[in-house]
Amino acid sequence: MILQALHALFTPVSLFAVFIGTTSGVIVGGMPGLTATMAVALLIPVTFALEPLTGLLLMGGVYCGAMYGGSIPAILLRTPGTPAAVATAIEGYPMTQQGKGGLALKVSVVASFTGGTFSTLILLMIAPALATFALTFGPPEYFLLALLGLAGIVSMADDENRLIKALISGFIGLVLAVVGTDPISGMLRYTMGVTDLFDGIAFMPALIGMFSLSQMLELTGTKQVVDEAAIETTKKFKREPLPKGISKPIWLGSLIGTVIGILPGEGATIAAFVSYNVARRRSKNPQLFGKGSPEGIAAAEAGNNGCVGGSLVPTLTLGIPGNSVAAALLGGLLIHGLVPGPELFTTYGVMTYAFILSLFIANVIFLLLGLFMAPYFARISMTPTNMLIPVVCLFSVLGAYAMNNSITDVFISLLFGLAAIILQKTGFSLGALILGLILGPIAETGFAQALIIGHGSYSIFFTRPQALALWVIIILLLITPMIQIYRQSKQEQKEQTNG
Amino acid sequence: MRKILLLAMAMALFFPLNAMAAYPEKPITIIVPSKAGGSTDTSARLFIKAAKKYWPKAEFVVKDVSGSGGLKGFEEIARAKPDGYTIGMVFTTQIVAHIVSKRAHYALDSFHIIGNAMQDPLIVAVPEKSPIKNLDDLIKTAKAKSMTAAVNGIGSDDFVAAKKFEQQTGVKFNLLPTKGSTEQKAMILGGHIDASFMNLSQLQAQHKAGKARIIAILADKRSEILPDVKTAAEQGYPVSMTATRGFVAPAGISKDIAAKLDDLLQKVNKDPGFIADTDKGVLFRLPMTGPEYLAYLKKLQAETQKFYDQNPW
Repeated sequence: MILQALHALFTPVSLFAVFIGTTSGVIVGGMPGLTATMAVALLIPVTFALEPLTGLLLMGGVYCGAMYGGSIPAILLRTPGTPAAVATAIEGYPMTQQGKGGLALKVSVVASFTGGTFSTLILLMIAPALATFALTFGPPEYFLLALLGLAGIVSMADDENRLIKALISGFIGLVLAVVGTDPISGMLRYTMGVTDLFDGIAFMPALIGMFSLSQMLELTGTKQVVDEAAIETTKKFKREPLPKGISKPIWLGSLIGTVIGILPGEGATIAAFVSYNVARRRSKNPQLFGKGSPEGIAAAEAGNNGCVGGSLVPTLTLGIPGNSVAAALLGGLLIHGLVPGPELFTTYGVMTYAFILSLFIANVIFLLLGLFMAPYFARISMTPTNMLIPVVCLFSVLGAYAMNNSITDVFISLLFGLAAIILQKTGFSLGALILGLILGPIAETGFAQALIIGHGSYSIFFTRPQALALWVIIILLLITPMIQIYRQSKQEQKEQTNG
Repeated sequence: MRKILLLAMAMALFFPLNAMAAYPEKPITIIVPSKAGGSTDTSARLFIKAAKKYWPKAEFVVKDVSGSGGLKGFEEIARAKPDGYTIGMVFTTQIVAHIVSKRAHYALDSFHIIGNAMQDPLIVAVPEKSPIKNLDDLIKTAKAKSMTAAVNGIGSDDFVAAKKFEQQTGVKFNLLPTKGSTEQKAMILGGHIDASFMNLSQLQAQHKAGKARIIAILADKRSEILPDVKTAAEQGYPVSMTATRGFVAPAGISKDIAAKLDDLLQKVNKDPGFIADTDKGVLFRLPMTGPEYLAYLKKLQAETQKFYDQNPW
C-alpha cells in the first residue's frame, strides 16, 4: 500500500500541489495575523474543484509551511506570525539585533525540519497506539497541562525582582482571560454587551498588538532593527556553521512537541513553551536565554513543528482534531467523503499514506527554502524603519480584523499594543501575559470539568497516574529556578552586608 | 385617453415583471454563522452547487461569520439590507436560545423564513466499555448513582435534548458542559464520562468502528446510516430532538423575491444531485417549507423558554 501511495504521490500534479502548499504556507505563516487555520479553512472550498488527494496535499503543505513560516518575522522583527512562535521571538530577536539574524533563521529552519520530520515518522509508524494514549488524558490532565505551560512564566525571569514582575504579568493575562462566556454556567462575564467579546478576548489580535504593533512603535526611534555595530556582520553572513549544542534541544523539542501535539487541544503554543522551558533547564548556557540563545530557538521551533505530525494522529485515527488547523483539515476530509477511523488506513489507505508521506516532502521543501533564502530574509532586518513600520502596521491591522471579521478586534489589538509598551518599559514580561491569556481558559475549563466529573472531590487531581506524572514534571520545572533565584538573592544580600 | 391608460397599465405590469426577471442581477451573499469547513458551511456550499442548476446566471458567495454560538452571524443576517442579495443560514437550538436568554438583538420576526434543508438528530452515546446497552439500562443506572453526561455548552441542542430526556424519564444527570463535539468525542472514547448527548454525524464513524456505542437516536425513525440503532421512542421513551439547518432572509424583502427564494430552496431540496451529495457527506436532510419551519422554530422557542425559566443561564 505504501508503494501505491508513493506512486500516487510522485506525479507532477501531486508534487506541484505539495510545493505550492508549502510555499504559500510559509508566506501565510510569515505574515503577522494570517494563520495556518485560516489558510487551511480558505483552501477547503478550493479543494472542492480538485481531486481529493490533490486537495489534501495542498492543505498538508500549507500546515507544515505555516508552522515554520511563523518563526521568520518572529526572529527578524519580533512579530510572531503565530502564537506558537512567541518563544522563538524572545530568543531570535536579540540575535537579529546582534547581527546574527541569518544564523537564527538557519537554526530555526533546521529545528523545524527535524521536529516536523520526527513527528511525521511517529505518525506513520505508531499512530493508532499513540491515539489510545492521548485518550487517557481527561479534564484533570488538561488542567495540569495548562499549569505546566504556565510554569514557563517562571523561566522568563532570572532574578527575584523579575520573577515577581513575570508572575504579575501572567496574572494580568489570567484576569483578561476571564472575559467572555463562563465555560460551565454559560453566564456572561465582563462583556459589556459587546457581542464580539462573548467568546472572550481573541488572543491573536492581542498577540498582534502586543508584539507587532508595540514593536513597530518602539522602532520609531531607530533607523533599523539591527544595532549599528552589527550591520557588517549581517551583511557578511554567508556560510556560518550551525552553533554547537543545538542538537540536544532539537531532539528534546521534537519529542515534547510530538507528545503534546497528540493531545487534542491547544497544542503548538504549549508545546513550544514547554520544550523551551525544559531546554533552558537542561542547558549548559542558561545565562544566554532571553538574550539570544540559539538553543532556545531550536527547542521552541522543534516543539511547535513536532505538533504537526502529532496533531494528525488523533485526527486521522479517531476523528478528534488535535488543534484548530487539524479541525479545518478534518472538515476538508469529510467534504470528500473520507471519514476518519480505521477505514482511512485500509479502504482509503493509498490516499492516507500518500498524504502522510507528502508531509516529509513538505518538510524538505521548507528546509531548502529556508536555508537558501535565510541570507535574503535576514536583510529584511536592515530595511529602513520608515518603510518597514507602515508595511508591518498595515498587515497587523489587517490580520487583527481578518481573524474574525471584527472591528472590535482591531481596537483590542491597538489597546494591547499601547499597554505592551508601558509594560515592557517597566520591565514586565509580555510572554508571561500572553501565556496567561492563552492558557487561562484551558486551565479554567479543565479545572471545572474535572470537579464535575469527580462529583466535587479534589482527589481526581491526585489519583490518576497521568495526573501524578504531570505533577512531578511541574514540580521539577519549578524547583530548579526557584533554588537558583533564592541562592542568587542570598548571595546578593551577603555581598551587601559585607560591603 | 384610453391609449394612455392602456400604456400605463402595460407599463405597470411590465416594469415589476422586468424588475423581477432581473433578480438576481448581482452576487447573493449567504451568511454562514459558523466556521468554514463545518457542517453548516458544507450545507451552504452544497446548496449553492445545486442552486446553480436552477438559477444558472446567479452568483453566490459564502461569508462565514462565526463566533458566540452563531449569534454574530444571526445578527448580521437580521441587520442586512432586505434586498434579497443577503440571505443566511440559521441553526437550532442556538437561533432561539439566544432570544430566550435575551442576548440576541433580533427576534424570529426579524427574518423571512425560507425553509429548512438539513438536520442532525441528537443521540445518546456511552463509552465502548460501558455495560449500558440501551435506554432502560441507562435510566436504571442513573437512578442508582449520579451519572456524568456531557453536552455541548448550556443552551445548545445537546443541552435541550438532555433536559427533555430528564423531564421525560424523571432521572437527573450530572451535566458536564464542554467546548464542543471534539471534547465530547475525546471524553467518550477515553471513558472519562458515563454518557454524552450529541449529534449523530459527530459520532457515527466511531460507532461504526466500535470505539463508542450509540444507544438511542432521538428521532421519529431510525437513521439509514446506522440501521441497528433504535430510536428512543422504540425503547419506550418518546423524546425527539434534532438540530436543524435552514435558510432565512432579513425581514422586509419584497414578496416576489421571497417567493423566488422559497421556490429555489424547495427545488434544491428535491434535487437528485443535492441528495446524492448530502448522502456522501454524511449530512441528513429534513426538507421543510417556510411556514412549516417557522412553526417549528416557534415551538422550539417556547420549549427552550421553559428550561430557561427553570434554570436561567
